[in-house]
Amino acid sequence: PPPPPPYFIEQAARGSPTSQHGAAQGRASRSVCGTVAVRCEVIGRRRRRGAGEEGVGCWASWWLGQRGGLVLIEDTIECEGRSLLKTFVAASAHRGESVHVFGFEIPEEEFRAGFDPDVTVRLLYQDGFTDPLRWTGEAGGFCGEEFTALGVSGQLARGPAGPATVVLDSLSWLLLRQPLPAVCQALGRIPMAAASAGLRVTRILALLHGDLHPPGLVETLRSLARAVVGVGPAPEGVGSGGDTPRLASMLQRKETGKVLEKEEYFTILAGFTPKALGEPTGSVPRDEDTDPHSMADPAANLTFNLRLSDTERRARDGVPLPFHFSAQKKSSLLEASASAGKIYYEPDAADDLDEEDPDDDLDV
Amino acid sequence: MAALATGGATPSDGATSFQRKVPASSRLAAIAGTRPSVRHGQLLLSSGLPSLDCVLGGGLAVGTLLLIEEDKYGIYSNLLFKYFLAEGIVCGHNLFVASAKEDPADILKELPAPLFDDVHKNQVDEKETAIKSKQESQESMKIAWRYQNLPKMEVSPAASARFGHYYDVSKTVSPELLKSIKWHRFFLPEEMSLHPEIKTCNMTCGYTRLLQSIQRIIYQEGFDGSYPQKKQKNILRIGIQSLGSVLWGDDICCTDNPEDIFSLTKFLYVLRGLLRMSLSACIITVPAHLIQNKAIMERVTNLSDTVVGLESFIGSERETNPLYKDYQGLIHVHQIPRLNSLICDVSGTKDLAFRLKRKQFTIENKKIINIATLINN
Repeated sequence: PPPPPPYFIEQAARGSPTSQHGAAQGRASRSVCGTVAVRCEVIGRRRRRGAGEEGVGCWASWWLGQRGGLVLIEDTIECEGRSLLKTFVAASAHRGESVHVFGFEIPEEEFRAGFDPDVTVRLLYQDGFTDPLRWTGEAGGFCGEEFTALGVSGQLARGPAGPATVVLDSLSWLLLRQPLPAVCQALGRIPMAAASAGLRVTRILALLHGDLHPPGLVETLRSLARAVVGVGPAPEGVGSGGDTPRLASMLQRKETGKVLEKEEYFTILAGFTPKALGEPTGSVPRDEDTDPHSMADPAANLTFNLRLSDTERRARDGVPLPFHFSAQKKSSLLEASASAGKIYYEPDAADDLDEEDPDDDLDV
Repeated sequence: MAALATGGATPSDGATSFQRKVPASSRLAAIAGTRPSVRHGQLLLSSGLPSLDCVLGGGLAVGTLLLIEEDKYGIYSNLLFKYFLAEGIVCGHNLFVASAKEDPADILKELPAPLFDDVHKNQVDEKETAIKSKQESQESMKIAWRYQNLPKMEVSPAASARFGHYYDVSKTVSPELLKSIKWHRFFLPEEMSLHPEIKTCNMTCGYTRLLQSIQRIIYQEGFDGSYPQKKQKNILRIGIQSLGSVLWGDDICCTDNPEDIFSLTKFLYVLRGLLRMSLSACIITVPAHLIQNKAIMERVTNLSDTVVGLESFIGSERETNPLYKDYQGLIHVHQIPRLNSLICDVSGTKDLAFRLKRKQFTIENKKIINIATLINN
């Protein structure tokens, strides 16, 4: 896969504070990365502490890292997620990918409303809303039963070649009509089937209504997806007056096995560009009462002293151990095997060697 | 002890001068990478992790099934899966890799590379608390200086008669080593596209194909003794990734009332029969945290031989708990097989935690040192 264009990362690292939406020359794409330049809180095993990983905006690092994975946007009745889905669609289109939308829940005009002209040019809509069961017998349109790997890649082949993003609006509609294993297997095989037809599916975006399904199904889809964004209502007082703030909790699973979790407030501006409004504070409650340091240091609150001062430590290091031989003795012990036993005597401090024979004092 | 048990492959550089005196006629052709168990007389394989071998009582017996209940994101269970396969590569066994998610060739490319240094010496260093200064360099050891002239243990994979090797997770296995072994693959989307006529997939469709494939390989390659005189005996290591997940066509992970609640258990029953009658061992990872009906996991545990559950601390509140700061997760040993005996002879410690460093995945008893609270209470 081609390396990501460097200006995305650079813009995000600079962190352009305001959003410049609406400009037609691809500046909107930079604003997508730039406004959301916050640090990712990494939970999980870290292999390298690369400086680049924390500086890059969260959204940008997602896009540039996904390869044929499933991105799930999960919403509930309290807070809709279709507008967030449309921001991803706009970002894909600005990046030059063709976007194939399989729509089942809303009519095409409603889906296309609000997009910039350069986005709508790249949008290829497969209409599954008007006639889902093919009662009128007209050609065109897309039927629910046609959602297999081959059916989808056949529709994709009609579009332009190059990288493509597949958008499902929504996955819940399909899951209510087809069994989950078949749908998941089809989702898994779409990139392969498309590759054999000469296309490259960069990612599959799916909108899921979390409260329509049993929790087991939602958990299974979350474990299959490469990234999950849950959308919920944000509390009062976040963001300025005109926005409708929402809370996004993101979970991303990388190829290296790392898992990133993050929560963030955001709002969506005209032209479907997202704007970050900061992180929720106090999301991880830290108990300040239990002092973690004293728990980790067992020698802290004792009635006797288990610690060593520096002089004591040095004195302890200087004590010779009983099996500490001199270097000469060590080497000779190591080498000698065949010779007769030798006696090594090392006098210690209390010894005084007197060469005189004590028997000389005897007056015999 | 391992050197004794494998029939005395004597390295000429003299790591050990013990040689087992066995008359040549009665000596069994030892299969590489196995050793007989002193407890129940079965041939044991290494699971790839020497510390897991200790927990399981010496190793995994040939003809048994090791089931791993995956942790929440499947990271560490995948690692254990790869260790098992990598051990097969180093010992020269044949591999059979089955998956519904990843291509088996990609799985094999990402196996960890084996370590051939003497890792034991590093462990001795950590335990030396009497000497603070770490001057145990290669040239002069302070305390164990009598051993410094002994040669290193491992030189090359061909000379490794050791049971259980260490792997470096940050490096992948070299392609030459991969080419030296024979392996078979089963990738479910590929099988389904080759035979698309079974389109309305009933639950056991993927499982049936997998069983047929395993049976065919066992028969063709002679692991069940079909070709007794011709070949040198070898072991088949079977690895099945994420069995029971939706990608295999089974819906036990999504609903409480699946369509065919017994398909996974039927599969395990038939698979164990295949394993028992051939020289093979199998590792299966199951996403147990997703299975909705808890009775299914009970049955699955009963139908497997060794069951190990992993619980990682990622995303849970234990991650920031200072008691668990050295560890990445907990290991629960749910079942150990009782082969040729009435009880299983394994240590009774149930508090096991694992930690993953760059070169070592160790399983040890949880060391919770909290003298302060003990004294205050």
